[in-house]
Amino acid sequence: MKKISYYLRIWWMMSRNSFLAVFYVKIALFIFLTGKVLRFVFFTLFIFFLVKGSQGLAGYTLHQSIFFFLTFNLVDITSQFLFREVYRFRPQLISGDFDLALVKPFSPLFRSLMGGADIIDLITIPPLIFTIFYIGSQLTPSILHIAFYVLLIVNGLLIATAFHIFVLGFGIITLEVDHLVFIYRDIINLGKLPVDIYREPIRSIITYLIPVGVMITLPAKALMGLVSPIGIIATLGIGAVALVASYRFWNFALTRYTSASS
Amino acid sequence: MDKYLAIFKISFAQEFAYRLNFVMWRVRNIMQFFLIFFLWDTVFSSPSTQIFGYDRPKILTYVFGLIIVRSIVLSARSVDIAGEVSRGDLSNYLVKPINYIKYWLTRDLSSKLLNLSFAMFEAVLLFIVLKPPFFLQTEALQLTFFVFSIFTAILLFFLLMFLFSMFALWYPDQAWGASFLLFIFVDFLGGGVFPLDVLPVNFQNILYLTPFPYLLFSPLQIYLGKFDTLLTVRNVLIGAIWVAILSVMVNKIWRLGLKVYRSEGR
Repeated sequence: MKKISYYLRIWWMMSRNSFLAVFYVKIALFIFLTGKVLRFVFFTLFIFFLVKGSQGLAGYTLHQSIFFFLTFNLVDITSQFLFREVYRFRPQLISGDFDLALVKPFSPLFRSLMGGADIIDLITIPPLIFTIFYIGSQLTPSILHIAFYVLLIVNGLLIATAFHIFVLGFGIITLEVDHLVFIYRDIINLGKLPVDIYREPIRSIITYLIPVGVMITLPAKALMGLVSPIGIIATLGIGAVALVASYRFWNFALTRYTSASS
Repeated sequence: MDKYLAIFKISFAQEFAYRLNFVMWRVRNIMQFFLIFFLWDTVFSSPSTQIFGYDRPKILTYVFGLIIVRSIVLSARSVDIAGEVSRGDLSNYLVKPINYIKYWLTRDLSSKLLNLSFAMFEAVLLFIVLKPPFFLQTEALQLTFFVFSIFTAILLFFLLMFLFSMFALWYPDQAWGASFLLFIFVDFLGGGVFPLDVLPVNFQNILYLTPFPYLLFSPLQIYLGKFDTLLTVRNVLIGAIWVAILSVMVNKIWRLGLKVYRSEGR
């Protein structure tokens, strides 16, 4: 408990600095916030007109299709809010500044993963949750299905964490971070709509092997009552395995760090 | 002319210097293609489906056409302009006997040549794997207008990119912000994510007043033969008018921007 409180204090200190840096340049805050909101609105409008015109999408109604997209945004934006520092990891490796993270009295993984929370994403989360609540309530879920949804969203965020730790580990070994993290973004973008739209074997690959389906489609399906309890347990297993594997990979990657630029 | 030919050759060679970067960029393009392809593949799963004025062959041709048209129109080295300005590297060019705008247009054209050759290969490969029905345009007139519209779109995107990049002359710390907005407009209002005729007519009419539909959507509509001859000519002309308007704007704003440029970072 003491350790959690210690890390929470460090996180708050780093996040506050990060927030202040963004607030200092208000024009950037305005541009990026506008861009993110526009992107969200444009895609929602597209789904609206598409599903209205085609009378459904892969068997899902308009509300359900929008709910998949909202769930995608929840997982994607929350992980960007928490893990924005990963996007700045490469310069630290190239310059040798990562050495400074290694000698500090707290986890270098924590520093590299969560050292710069993104206020712009944080601003968009409350209205997003409100919209999820509103659209979700139109699907008339039971309390149990809501609990499954929350549980699987947490699980989705754990898998997103694992993805980001893998990217950091690969970064240490190969010095390649930027493209990897954007490929991760492209992969997760495949979950903007239910994975049911993809043909086999791509559907199975992005459901289980690259678990976009587990992160996004399954939580939304759980709220709609379309996932069995066994499916939920298996999904949680995938999250746990991904997290443990990524942490081991990170520890392995650290042994390959050469500190060459410092 | 010789110096721009030399820039073209050097820029082309430079793309091979960062091979991993280039390969990753192409991989990203394919990933983005998957979402759009399978979405429309599902909506038009029945061969008899007709929605938004498309049948299955035409919509999947639109999606495949996007691979090629995007690679010609949107692949550009000029995305680096804003970064150069913010680092103060622009100063290096101002003392050289070259026109900065023509320099970047030349580099863009070299990037397009390389990207187009890779995109053709990817499109053929994906076509073999996914086996979609394909609409082959055989009318010479439509194909001629298609080439014209692509030519216009290349210039249009370059001018828009240059215009948005000049934001960095006033705000050097925010080099990437304006380009981020431009890419969102191009993707959604240009037909890069979905054909614009999915939207209500009133909305489309407003969009046609902006330069964005003439980047991707309009050339593909011309290829698919969805515009009659009059509408085709009108679209190509409006695209050309936008090129003229943006050329004037770019030149004026460039001159104004140079007055406030502080060469920060040098």
